[in-house]
Amino acid sequence: DTVPPQVVPGADPSARQLCFAWGPAEVLVCETLFGRAGESRSRAGTAARALTGSVAGAGEGAPSSSRVYVVRRDQDIYIQTLRKLFNESHAIFMGLQRSEEELAGKSRKAQLVQVSKNYRSVIRACMEDMHQAAVSTRDPALQGQYSTQVSILSAMELIWNLCEILFVEAATAGPLLLRLLDWVRLHVCDVDSMVREVLSSESPSKHKLFWNVVDVFVLQGRMDEARHLLSKEASANPTSMNMYKILDDLMKKMPVPSLGNTQTLTELELKWQHWHEECQRYLQDGTFASNPHMESICKILLGDEDAILEKKELMTTWYHFLVTRLLYSHPTVKPMELRFYAQSSMDLFLGGESSPEPLDMILMAAFEFEMHQVIKECSIVLSNWWFVAHLTDLLDHCKLLQSHNLYFGSNMREFLLLEYASGLFSHHSLWQLGVDYFDHCPEYGRVYLELHIERIPLSTERKALKVLRICEQRQMHEQVRSICKIMAMKALRNNRLGSALSWSIRAKDAAFATLISDRFLKDYCERGCFSDLDLIDNLGPSMLLSDRLTFLGKYREFHRLYGEKRFPEAARLLLTLMTAHIAPCSFWMTLLTDALPLLEQKEVIFSAEQTYELMRCLEDLTAGNPDKQKFQDDDVETTKVEMLRLALARNLARVIVKEGTMEGS
Amino acid sequence: QVSVINTVDTSHEDMIHDAQMDYYGTRLATCSSDRSVKIFDVRNGGQILIADLRGHEGPVWQVAWAHPMYGNILASCSYDRKVIIWKEENGTWEKTYEYTGHDSSVNSVCWAPHDYGLILACGSSDGAISLLSYTGDGQWEVKKISNAHTIGCNAVSWAPAVVPGSLIEQPSGQKPNYIKRFASGGCDNLVKIWKEEDGQWKEEQKLEAHSDWVRDVAWAPSIGLPTSTIASCSQDGRVFIWTCDDASGSSWSPKLLHKFNDVVWHVSWSITANILAVSGGDNKVTLWKESVDGLWACISDVNKGQGGVSAVTEGQQNEQ
Repeated sequence: DTVPPQVVPGADPSARQLCFAWGPAEVLVCETLFGRAGESRSRAGTAARALTGSVAGAGEGAPSSSRVYVVRRDQDIYIQTLRKLFNESHAIFMGLQRSEEELAGKSRKAQLVQVSKNYRSVIRACMEDMHQAAVSTRDPALQGQYSTQVSILSAMELIWNLCEILFVEAATAGPLLLRLLDWVRLHVCDVDSMVREVLSSESPSKHKLFWNVVDVFVLQGRMDEARHLLSKEASANPTSMNMYKILDDLMKKMPVPSLGNTQTLTELELKWQHWHEECQRYLQDGTFASNPHMESICKILLGDEDAILEKKELMTTWYHFLVTRLLYSHPTVKPMELRFYAQSSMDLFLGGESSPEPLDMILMAAFEFEMHQVIKECSIVLSNWWFVAHLTDLLDHCKLLQSHNLYFGSNMREFLLLEYASGLFSHHSLWQLGVDYFDHCPEYGRVYLELHIERIPLSTERKALKVLRICEQRQMHEQVRSICKIMAMKALRNNRLGSALSWSIRAKDAAFATLISDRFLKDYCERGCFSDLDLIDNLGPSMLLSDRLTFLGKYREFHRLYGEKRFPEAARLLLTLMTAHIAPCSFWMTLLTDALPLLEQKEVIFSAEQTYELMRCLEDLTAGNPDKQKFQDDDVETTKVEMLRLALARNLARVIVKEGTMEGS
Repeated sequence: QVSVINTVDTSHEDMIHDAQMDYYGTRLATCSSDRSVKIFDVRNGGQILIADLRGHEGPVWQVAWAHPMYGNILASCSYDRKVIIWKEENGTWEKTYEYTGHDSSVNSVCWAPHDYGLILACGSSDGAISLLSYTGDGQWEVKKISNAHTIGCNAVSWAPAVVPGSLIEQPSGQKPNYIKRFASGGCDNLVKIWKEEDGQWKEEQKLEAHSDWVRDVAWAPSIGLPTSTIASCSQDGRVFIWTCDDASGSSWSPKLLHKFNDVVWHVSWSITANILAVSGGDNKVTLWKESVDGLWACISDVNKGQGGVSAVTEGQQNEQ
């Protein structure tokens, strides 16, 4: 037997096959029919199909489905009310990772128990929110969803609590029972409303459910409350006063483990034995014979299984039965003995009428101290990895997983954390939590982060910067470069040249920088001015990223110098741009044209030597130009060249005179 | 559990052959026997048709998104022997390049890792594999491997980019020395691995295990281990996982994932390569995961599977 497949609603499995594609978070499924046209080896009818464009399928010629299903695996992260769970548990997780490992023994254990309790209180808080949501919504479907979530959270807390008692705190015989009693009292709530009803009635002892409530208290070991109720009954029924006094006394004297070290286990066992025998005597003497209720209570005190089992409906679960049994038959139970009592309790309680459910199996595995089994079963049953990831991490910190000789060992922790964190990445804001989890996965955390962080949509510049910061902090250079390139491309497509340029500088992408510089220069040629002056003016050393970029920066500098009327400097720069071949040949004409105003100035700016250089440049340009034909045909170009030659000649004349007559300029 | 969060009604007039999400899961491209390629914006559960691209003259078999750093670029290949590269410019999608160098249906297209530049591998029924590289300014350079597979090539898949040797950051502007590789599957029942040497593509390995046409190959993403992994599936119903342990890429060993009862058409890896999806002729998609002890487990029912539950080896069923 194989695992049943997913059923995609609407898809008809008989006529179609399913095509599948991975998305970064979601997956795509669509109906198709595989088979290439024209192949003799493919299914009969494929060729016909390809030619006519219709589908043979089941022979009906039914139209093919044109739907693509976008399917998501983990919906839980999108539930608003669970947001608190993810955020707050993240804080606890981080605290745990950074916590003092040097603390040893008791203080470390106390610390870990506190962490466990913190996780549980987050679960409870979430449960409360979810419950509120369920109560306040009018939509029955939503209400159903919320209620389901509440039960799931409740089950998680139940399991976690038991794990805390057995594994984290590792309660020993004595305290173990007390903890289990607390656990049961906290989690078996079905009887709460009944209890409230009876207690709040005018005359509780007359209430028809009175004895049920007394029984509940006894079963849960709440002796004081049981005795209090019984006293009301006694005062209402003086005839049973005698019986009552004895029962009350027995209940008062019952030896229970204590949390302080006031007695040893042996002392407790001894006392308990005596007390047990005393109860036995009273029962056998028929002391309670006339009051079946009290008699049954006495039997319970004696740990009589049948008597306890009779109160099945008041206990509601086999683990309640287990703890009650232990309380009244073996209060000094040792952790390793639990498994036997647990198995028999479940068997007796279910009695062959019903079979254990997944939750039962998980709890059983815990009682058997099969930690790995607990984790495995939880992984199967729960719809997302949150629970197992955090619990396993905690158990790992308790150094419990390494002692198990299984191939998973401490890799189990990382495996689960990776799965959990990966799931977070498909969420538009929870992904940030995922980053921290990956950071604490020493083997594969980094590479998983690299693969996932690239897929975060960079919908806004702010988001891109956030992602970048994360990558930069972790020296993920490839990802930094990739993101900057993507942002540069986006900016370029939207014609934001300045933004594109700064992104490509950040990406150290010379080729792109060249491309954008060319665009800037082209823009300048067309419009006569630069955009994004701030950026270009402040390029600094990044100007050297690409030759074209350097030219852009320097060219802009030329314009600035000219604007500041620092003509000799401007002139020098202009010349250098050509002679040092910083400027691309295609731009020389523009540069020479830029030289014109300098040549036309009243004052002579270019020296003789410089003028000769300029002339040479001009000749180089016009002579070696493959577009010579174009030059000659284009009137504007020829005119320009003529003007330049004239201006250069005139300048030369003036400068020769000037340099000849003055002693030095 | 899985839930359908969006049902995109593509309005294709005929069978859809491929559907692919873009890098971020914001756009969906589909292609169909109706000769069109459509692009949808699927953010937030929506479905807005962005483009309906016409240009092919036959059923379109596959689409592939290029890395976003090159802009919004999509490649498609078709029975009409053409490979078309579409690009979004100024908000509209247009054909930016058309390659007609194949003599027969082009079955598969796959973009190389972005580190290599913008390079597209195309596999065709004429047995050849062509590699189209963008050289700038709207120009594409073509390299062809003729007779890569006799009878025809059905699938191509690139190896992830791995820089051999040191992992120090390269100085800006300098391209690291990548060794480019890709895998192909063909009608000669073979999976072949190709390597670029001195600008030429050479057949590096021949992987033989299938007894019928290889329908798809998928090279798994790298998670930093020195091993390489390839999945291949075939007309013979088998899916093999090939692994190569050493960095030199010389010894590949196959492991049978499963033998299905029908042709297996597609295999694809999840982003972190931990799950393999297999689409078969038996009308199902199964998801497979490798457990720590090296056995592959089927986890297609998410309720029952995650965490390496029952290992399914050849011929055996649920073994705990």
